[in-house]
Amino acid sequence: MDPTPAIRRIRRFFQQRRRMPTYREIARLVGYRSTNAVAKLVNVLVAGGSVVRDTTGHLTLPDPFGTARVLGTVEAGWPSPAEEELADTMSLDEWLISNREATFMLKVRGESMRDAGIMPGDMVLVERGSQARDGDIVVAEVDGAWTMKYLRHRDGKALLMPANPKFRPIVPRDQLNITAVVKAVIRKY
Amino acid sequence: MCHSPLLLSSFPRAVLHIDGDAFFASCEQARDPALKGRPVITGLERGIAASMSYEAKARGITRAMPLWQIRRICPDAVILPSDYETYSLLSKRLFDIVRRWTPDVEEYGVDECFADITGLRRMHRASYPVIASRIQRDLAAELGFTFSIGLAPTKVLAKIGSKWKKPNGLTAIPGRRIHEYLANLPVENVWGIGPQTTAFLMKHRIRTALEFARLPLEWVFANTTKPFQEIWQELNGLSVLQLVTEAKTTYASIQKFKTFTPPSTDAAFVFSQLSRNIENACIKVRRYDLAVREAVFLLRTQQFDHAGIEVELSDATPVPGPIIAAAREAFRTLWKPGTQYRATGVVFTKLESDDRRQPDLFGAHVGIERSRRVYQSADALDAKYGKHTVYVATSHIAQTHAQHDSERGHLAARKTDLVRGETGRQRLAIPMLMGREFTDQAA
Repeated sequence: MDPTPAIRRIRRFFQQRRRMPTYREIARLVGYRSTNAVAKLVNVLVAGGSVVRDTTGHLTLPDPFGTARVLGTVEAGWPSPAEEELADTMSLDEWLISNREATFMLKVRGESMRDAGIMPGDMVLVERGSQARDGDIVVAEVDGAWTMKYLRHRDGKALLMPANPKFRPIVPRDQLNITAVVKAVIRKY
Repeated sequence: MCHSPLLLSSFPRAVLHIDGDAFFASCEQARDPALKGRPVITGLERGIAASMSYEAKARGITRAMPLWQIRRICPDAVILPSDYETYSLLSKRLFDIVRRWTPDVEEYGVDECFADITGLRRMHRASYPVIASRIQRDLAAELGFTFSIGLAPTKVLAKIGSKWKKPNGLTAIPGRRIHEYLANLPVENVWGIGPQTTAFLMKHRIRTALEFARLPLEWVFANTTKPFQEIWQELNGLSVLQLVTEAKTTYASIQKFKTFTPPSTDAAFVFSQLSRNIENACIKVRRYDLAVREAVFLLRTQQFDHAGIEVELSDATPVPGPIIAAAREAFRTLWKPGTQYRATGVVFTKLESDDRRQPDLFGAHVGIERSRRVYQSADALDAKYGKHTVYVATSHIAQTHAQHDSERGHLAARKTDLVRGETGRQRLAIPMLMGREFTDQAA
């Protein structure tokens, strides 16, 4: 039997999941029914060197990270800083979004938050269902529409304060429906 | 006898079935407060109701009801075009939120999943019903609409639980109380029992799920097939259906079927529709590393007649070229001039894994290898710039025409309400709050 397709699929599995498949998963990958057959296949692969066993007997790839990367050149004296130093950085996504599942975006339409630096056309990222505190910029539901304002508490009552003297504070008639808390403002030029 | 429990322990296993309440319509209501409390229907572009809010259901609107009928019985209905992109984003969030509580989640449909929480009480310091209610609370708080949950010792019973009370219901069916939930439940309402089995059981005077569950094991194993033996076991509280917690890695068959309006008598247009279906099905074929060995081409007339031809390809292929060539021949046989056609479809009935990368001795694979490389690039372009950035010329007419004559102006709002940097082809993978901005406070 030609083991090449099996190796390809195991490698693909590793790339996608960042781990080796179990015997049962290998069975599914190559269309075997029994894990006994998989054990035999694995022995062939190990003998061929395309899969190796580590000291605990677990399977791994001989080059799990693909081909080895060159860290700078020896003559320069120092390895290129890139690889290791970048381990402690984060992407813009990670920086802007903490609870991914609860994050929605909203396009700013009015000028009521102008003095907070939030302009029409800006995109804000809001987190749904998170607890709003005094001073947060929130998105609330008023008369079947969205409004974005500072949340303020005065004399035990919550009100929505604009950041623009042309607008008046919103005092809720009965209950204030806060939908989300603003977490980031993004303006792309 | 009738009041004796089917099972004595409460939750030998704890399986949840989590089901979105009017999922698509709820996605719409959650992003636009003007829609809350109103009868909302999605499916404008298709001319029938795809999903309706509870307010719309209360007015007698049912799934697949034509829009003209909806407008007659409910003139104030809000009818929206489907925004599958947003629904899919929220669907993925549903699964991700449930996975915070347990890794064993089966994505059963766009708006429903199973989750196994057996053995997690200590970790979450809560009983099974409390864990279920916390999941329900998280989903409603973060997604902005409600889900109904069934908690039971098996999948079949959990499914009964999630339907028991809707919307926003939480129904726990412990083993010793299974019989109370099955007593008045018509047997055809049990997941997996269809009209054939219902008719068969009727002949034996079995009408309720409890009557079915109380049948003796010997009778069930002698008179029904394995799927129904499993349902019988599950109704008795014995979990035999495992959760399929991994994303599908392969398919037995792949199909693409699409209707267009108005119907057409134009051969070039209809063939182009077929060509596009083949192309789209091939994209899926390549995504799962498969190759097509056998295909069925279908044409559907305005009278809902089907005509189809099955074709075996000389060489299994993951690219549309040879399949479209075969389709052209089949099309000549199927096509009846002057007939009104309304849909085309393709079913890849025989699929193989696409492993034959080594060129053969006679060099016949050179051409195939070349077209594979072309499609590798096409797939890369689509991934970078959006679906259908490049497509085969035979699909051109279909690619440049609206699928339905009502489609113009019926694009989902999210597709036109873009932020800077987004294009018609690609948007940010974050759902957008839409609707009116509250104004009128200008002093």
